Formats: sequence, C-alpha cells, structure tokens
Amino acid sequence: MRYVSNLDRSLDKIDIMKLLIFLMIFLVLTFVFVFLLIIPHIKEHRVLQAEHKRVLIHKTRVENLFLERESELSKLKTENAHVVAAFKHPFSHEEFMVYAKKFFSDVSLVEISKGDYKKEFVEYELNVTSTLKTPTNFYNFLEGLNQYSSIVQADFPIHLEATKESITSIFKIKVYDTNVTH
Amino acid sequence: MRSFIAPRPKPFLSLFSKMWIVFIALMSLFMLMFNFYIVFEMRSFKQGMIDLTKEREMLEVKIDENDAMIGSILRQKALAEDIFSNNTLLKDSMNNLFDLVPDQITLKKVEMERNSLILYGISPTQDAFNFLLAAPLKSIFHTSQTTFYLTKAGWYNFVSINKIMSEDEIRE
Repeated sequence: MRYVSNLDRSLDKIDIMKLLIFLMIFLVLTFVFVFLLIIPHIKEHRVLQAEHKRVLIHKTRVENLFLERESELSKLKTENAHVVAAFKHPFSHEEFMVYAKKFFSDVSLVEISKGDYKKEFVEYELNVTSTLKTPTNFYNFLEGLNQYSSIVQADFPIHLEATKESITSIFKIKVYDTNVTH
Repeated sequence: MRSFIAPRPKPFLSLFSKMWIVFIALMSLFMLMFNFYIVFEMRSFKQGMIDLTKEREMLEVKIDENDAMIGSILRQKALAEDIFSNNTLLKDSMNNLFDLVPDQITLKKVEMERNSLILYGISPTQDAFNFLLAAPLKSIFHTSQTTFYLTKAGWYNFVSINKIMSEDEIRE
C-alpha cells in the first residue's frame, strides 16, 4: 500500500475538478438511464401488466363458463343416457322383430315412409301386422317400448280383430333416429 | 538535469479515476440489468397474453360445441318424453277400453283412430249394450252411434262408431 501510495497520491490529494467531472458524468448517466430507458419501460410494463391481468380475468371467466357447461352436459348425458343411446342406435327390422316376437307371433313389418322430423331427426313410419293371444301382450309390448334400444312410438290407427283363437293386430309405429343427419 | 532516482512510469489512470470508472460502470450495469429484467417481463406478458387468448378462443369453441350438444340432448329428451308419454297413454287407453267391456258383450273387432273408436261385437240384448257399454262410451266421446243387427241365434251384432270432435268442430 505504501508503495502504491508512493506511486499514486490521487486519493491523498483529491482533485476537486476531477471529482466534479466524475460526479457530473455519474449524474448525467444515471439520468439518461432513468429517464430514457427505465421510466418509459416501466410505464409500458404497467400498461402490459394491466392488459395481461384483464386478459387473464376474461380467460378465467370463459373457463368457468366452460366448466359449468361441461358439468351441465355430463349431467344431462348421464341423466338421459338411455334416450341419447336410443336416438343414436340405428333402427333395424331384425332387432325389432326379435323384440316384437316376445309378445306377438307372426310379426311382419312394412316401411311406409321416411322423412325428416324437425330437421334434426329422421322419422320412419312402419306398419306392424301381428297375431297375439290376449290383449295383455299388447299392453306389455307398449310398456316395454319405452325401454327399447331405439326410440319407437306406437301410433294410430290400431286395428284389432278377434279370430277363433287369437287376435290379429295392425298398427303403425314411428321410429326416430338422429344417425343420418349427424 | 539528472535525477537520483529512476523514473517510474506514471499510471495512465489514477486510482481515484479507476474507482470512479468502476463505480460508474457498476451503476450502468445495474441499470441495464434492471432494464433487461423489465423488458424480459414485458415479453413474457406479451407471450402470456397470446397464449391466454388462444386458450380462451379454444374454450369458446368448446363452449359452442357443448351448447349445441346440450341443445340437441334437450330436444331429444323432449321428443323422447313426448313419445314415451304417448306410448303410456296408448297403453292406458287400451287398458281402459278392455276394462270397459263387460263379460256379456264380446268384441270382434276394434278400430282405434286418433279421434275415433269403432267397435264391432255381439251383445245378448240391445239394452245390455246400451246400459253396460254405450253409457260409458258416451261419457268419453262427443258422438256415439250404434247400429244393431239381429243374428240367427237371437243375439245382436253391433257396430258402434264413437268420435271425439276437434275444438274447431265443436265451435261449428
């Protein structure tokens, strides 16, 4: 140290002019940094921060709405699982015959018409001709129809005619499907 | 001129200057670092905003899809309920019809339409039919007409035509 101080006496005898010049440089640089760089950036930062917050809030609201709808949808799906599955299930003559034969004998099925129903659904009309032993079979058939794998409505006209041993029935069914439109 | 000591090179910058320069350099470095930190954060905000907006738009599309599905399920539910209640109603009305027919009267043929019921059958007497079946039928239907034919066995074949009038027909 002593050796150095022998060499350099600048700390022992401070040059006021130099001190002032350095101080000036320091102050000017500090001001330049603060006013030209940091303050404008901080302003921009604040604006961006507020905007980010706004975007975040908007997204959170939409997300909450989405979660709400999602739970509503899954609730509806579980509540109406049978109905949704039944509308998706394509109607097949063979399957219906298997069901109808539990209640009737000699079942025949004739398709009358096929058309759109309320845009979203397809409506088939079929005539069912069958033979049954007692009217109770017909009630059971109608009762089971609500649990059938497709959406089927039994409809008028219903003609029942008694023969010697059994009853012949002719009636219309309407089948609804969503398959073709979706 | 001669010097008794060897000349020593004078440093280009004095210690005092060096300290100031280091001090100013450190201050500048600190300022620049702080500035970069702010700039970096702004960039992450911007990127975050882009990501959030994309995510929000995706969620909005999903909400629309869910809404469409909810609507579709509700319409399916309404139609199914309608159909199921029609089936139940049909079952009940058939049940009622067969409950209505007394043991003395035999039905041969039944034609059920939406607004009418035609019954063909055999009754031991006209009065038996009128009291036991015609009376309850009249309470259900707006018009009820019966024609009798005498059979060889002395019984009566009957054809009973019953109608429910629509509201327009009633007004007329």
